[in-house]
Amino acid sequence: MIIFQSLLDGLIAGSIYALFATGLTLIYGTLHFINFAHGELIMAGAYLAYLFMIPPLGLSPIPSAGLAILGVIGLALLTDRVVFRPLRNASPLLLLIASLGISLFLQNFAQALWGAEIRTFPFSLERGLTFGPIVITRVQITILLVAAVTILLLYLLLKFTRAGRAIRGVSDNPRLAETFGVESEKIIRNVWILAAGLAAVGGVLYAADTNLEPHMGIINLVRAFAAVLLGGTGNVWGALIGGFVIGLSENLGVLVLPLGYKDAIAFFIIILLLLFRPEGILGTRWGVR
Amino acid sequence: MINYLLHIVVISEIFALFAMGLQLQIGDTGLYNFGHVAFFGLGAYASALLTVHGVPFAVALCLSLGVAGGIAWLAGIPILRLRGDYFGLAMLGFAEIMRKVFLNEAWLTRGPMGIPGIPRPSAFGYSLHGLPGFALFYGCLLLLAFLFTHHVVRSPLGRVFHAVRDDELSAGAVGKDTFRLRRVSLVIGALLAGLGGILWAHYITFISPSDFTLNETILALLIVVLGSGRGIPGALVATFLVIGFQEGLRFLPLPESFGRIIAPVQQMVFGLVLILLVMRQFRKGLGKGELLAED
Repeated sequence: MIIFQSLLDGLIAGSIYALFATGLTLIYGTLHFINFAHGELIMAGAYLAYLFMIPPLGLSPIPSAGLAILGVIGLALLTDRVVFRPLRNASPLLLLIASLGISLFLQNFAQALWGAEIRTFPFSLERGLTFGPIVITRVQITILLVAAVTILLLYLLLKFTRAGRAIRGVSDNPRLAETFGVESEKIIRNVWILAAGLAAVGGVLYAADTNLEPHMGIINLVRAFAAVLLGGTGNVWGALIGGFVIGLSENLGVLVLPLGYKDAIAFFIIILLLLFRPEGILGTRWGVR
Repeated sequence: MINYLLHIVVISEIFALFAMGLQLQIGDTGLYNFGHVAFFGLGAYASALLTVHGVPFAVALCLSLGVAGGIAWLAGIPILRLRGDYFGLAMLGFAEIMRKVFLNEAWLTRGPMGIPGIPRPSAFGYSLHGLPGFALFYGCLLLLAFLFTHHVVRSPLGRVFHAVRDDELSAGAVGKDTFRLRRVSLVIGALLAGLGGILWAHYITFISPSDFTLNETILALLIVVLGSGRGIPGALVATFLVIGFQEGLRFLPLPESFGRIIAPVQQMVFGLVLILLVMRQFRKGLGKGELLAED
């Protein structure tokens, strides 16, 4: 019953993609452009955690991940301060090209430091636990738990805190939010912290589940983008569901498609969506503003 | 030294073709095609495979242009439903898929091993040898392609492209079929990219999937942004500068350990330049839609 195993793997991958996609859509909802460098925030999270885990520091995974998250938040705030803040109110396309520049810079910074080779976290190999037809490792259980807790935290934050409500207000209607005295710069800072945190957690989990390499950001950006399209732009919960859909489709898709095309499935979903739901899901008007 | 300079000239001519396609799409029609390299790769692979299997160069050239243009025509059906940055990201995804196809369909493309021994261009019993010949022949093709593109941009069709770029809704309201127009622009851009790819394959004589990554699209984007608003000489100088910097360091006698980081450092510089150019454009007040618009 390989299908159960694929469902489980899809769920694990999907929970990680959901973290990528919610972060991407949060930035989109507030700043109204697709942050091309979102994939590099994911990559930075993975590499920073790796850096803290290997000698000479050799920290255990949890503090390493914590430091990595802080590092990525710092990085995101830095890019905002240096690049995006001077470009406030620029056209989305200028912002897109600027973020492409950041993406290129960070990707190659990582490659200059660590080389292009594929690396893995220094976990010792372990035998998976068997439940009937499915096998799951302790690392995978941890991934599911961490992702679930992170999503729950995000929900509570957006739903019940003042800052969260302000974020939702700004992405629903920026003008109206401003009239009610919401400071947009403060909101933008909070959104960066949130999106970078989500990307970092996701990046560490992704690296724990698979591996790390400097160019891992691009494919994950495409996945997150596909999830965002599926869920309707700027819609956090839609993106969350979209992430799970992508994760499940990838893992079920390889049952029928050659393994080499696993990374292409997210894109195929974009194409199918555009062909058969050209008006968009949830009334989204594809990038028309 | 002169050979080295000629090499840069030839590569610049190829990338000028490639970037010209992107300029038409981004600058004239507002299509942010971040998957431009897909058509460069398609042209290169199609022509390489055909000529390796004995098809004459001139025939392969025409067929390969057909492949690049035809696939752009098909890809446009779903992807052109998207606009702006959404279109850009979907095209990026498209280019990644094309690279996967080059990589995975090993029965056709030999996968990661690439295609070696691609014949040099030849026709009517003459075949091209030596760098000056390449520089001259490719230069002529570049000139022809430029005259064609220039004619398109200056024609009524080009003016409608600009209308679509500036305000698609209004262009549609006065009865222009904007989907068709954007599609035509996508296909012409893909033909130029395809031609660039074909010339690349027959000059380098070896291609592999790793030649056709996002980095090549970014190179073209950099040329377009750097050359924007500076006319034709500006665009040529921009191409020569970017390619000179890209190719220049490749031939310096650098120690092995240094060589490993030279490529990423180059790309970091390109990233920084892109950011700085965008910020300068915005400060000059060109930031609201007129970026790269050349009228």
